[in-house]
Amino acid sequence: MTQKLVNILLVEDDEVDVMNVKRAFAKNNIKNELFVAGNGVEALEMLNSSIVPLPKIIILDINMPKMNGIEFLKIMREDDRFKNISVFVMTTSNEDSDKINAYNLNVAGYILKPLSFEKFLSSVATLKNFWQLCEL
Amino acid sequence: MEEPDTKCQAKLESLKKEFEDFIYIISHDMKTPMRAISNISNWIEEDLGATINPSIKENFNLLKNRVQRLENMMNAMLELSRVERYDMDFIEVNIPKLIDEIIFITKDKLNTEFHISLHLKNENFITYIKKLEKVLLSVIDNSVRFNNNIKKNVYIEVVETDINYEFEIKDDGLGVEEAVKDKIFDIFYTVHSKDVLDTTGSGLAISDKILKFVGGNIEYKKNPSGGSIFKMIWPKNIEIKK
Repeated sequence: MTQKLVNILLVEDDEVDVMNVKRAFAKNNIKNELFVAGNGVEALEMLNSSIVPLPKIIILDINMPKMNGIEFLKIMREDDRFKNISVFVMTTSNEDSDKINAYNLNVAGYILKPLSFEKFLSSVATLKNFWQLCEL
Repeated sequence: MEEPDTKCQAKLESLKKEFEDFIYIISHDMKTPMRAISNISNWIEEDLGATINPSIKENFNLLKNRVQRLENMMNAMLELSRVERYDMDFIEVNIPKLIDEIIFITKDKLNTEFHISLHLKNENFITYIKKLEKVLLSVIDNSVRFNNNIKKNVYIEVVETDINYEFEIKDDGLGVEEAVKDKIFDIFYTVHSKDVLDTTGSGLAISDKILKFVGGNIEYKKNPSGGSIFKMIWPKNIEIKK
């Protein structure tokens, strides 16, 4: 059975966290193409021009330079082309205000960046099931 | 006379806020590089493969344990800085039910017998429920953890007075030496080496801060028959702060 894997965009400025996601993908045998943007501005540029087909899933950090995750989400949700993309927020911020802002902008999930890689792996394994549904 | 007082009070409030913000920023922002150290050490270990030299393996374990300890300390600092601002649910608590729940979530209680004695006219009262739970959990958890007996006993007594609920938690465990009994409420202070009992040393410091916040108090007494007694006075009526 050949199945077209959906593209995934990771918006994250920390190199170690990018590696973290890549490693978690490899360990869970996730073969979707992963695009990486370093901040919201870059992510919008990539969505507007270079990612074909458009990603169905975005993994989004909140604290980033230039344009943070919440600002990016606001702009994205106003654009008809992007408003149906599933967004998972992935952040160190356990602040209620960040969570509320994110959920108000219709996010599919909120992943707290854990200290240990093992905990992160199990969240990615759970997400993989969800992503497979997106691919149907 | 009132004016300098108000000025002093304002200055104090602003310093307090600055201090809390400072702790928050430190403990929050320092987590990112700390997580990186933890992750990268895992990856190096993984990449070295299965044939790893035992001494390297041992050092990796130490490294990971210490990073974890650092994280626990940062989380504790964060929790301490947030006592007056977070978990502010002010709702009805049922004391017998709360004690049952706390015993239920206490870890490593397999060989522990809990003796509960309640002298209550009103089982229910309205208070900062999460804060009361945190304090009781910290003290009960300590009484189980700092106890090497094969069979452990923890005595929980609650007495209702006109204005307070008085909780006394007594155990037959290791107790605390007279010379250090004031230090146990300091953050990160541990009676035993952290290598013997891996604990952060923050539960009592946070509890002490909570009790000051609600206008009560907590104190330690040596159990004459060995072990510790913690006595907490928790006011029935707490003035809600803005």
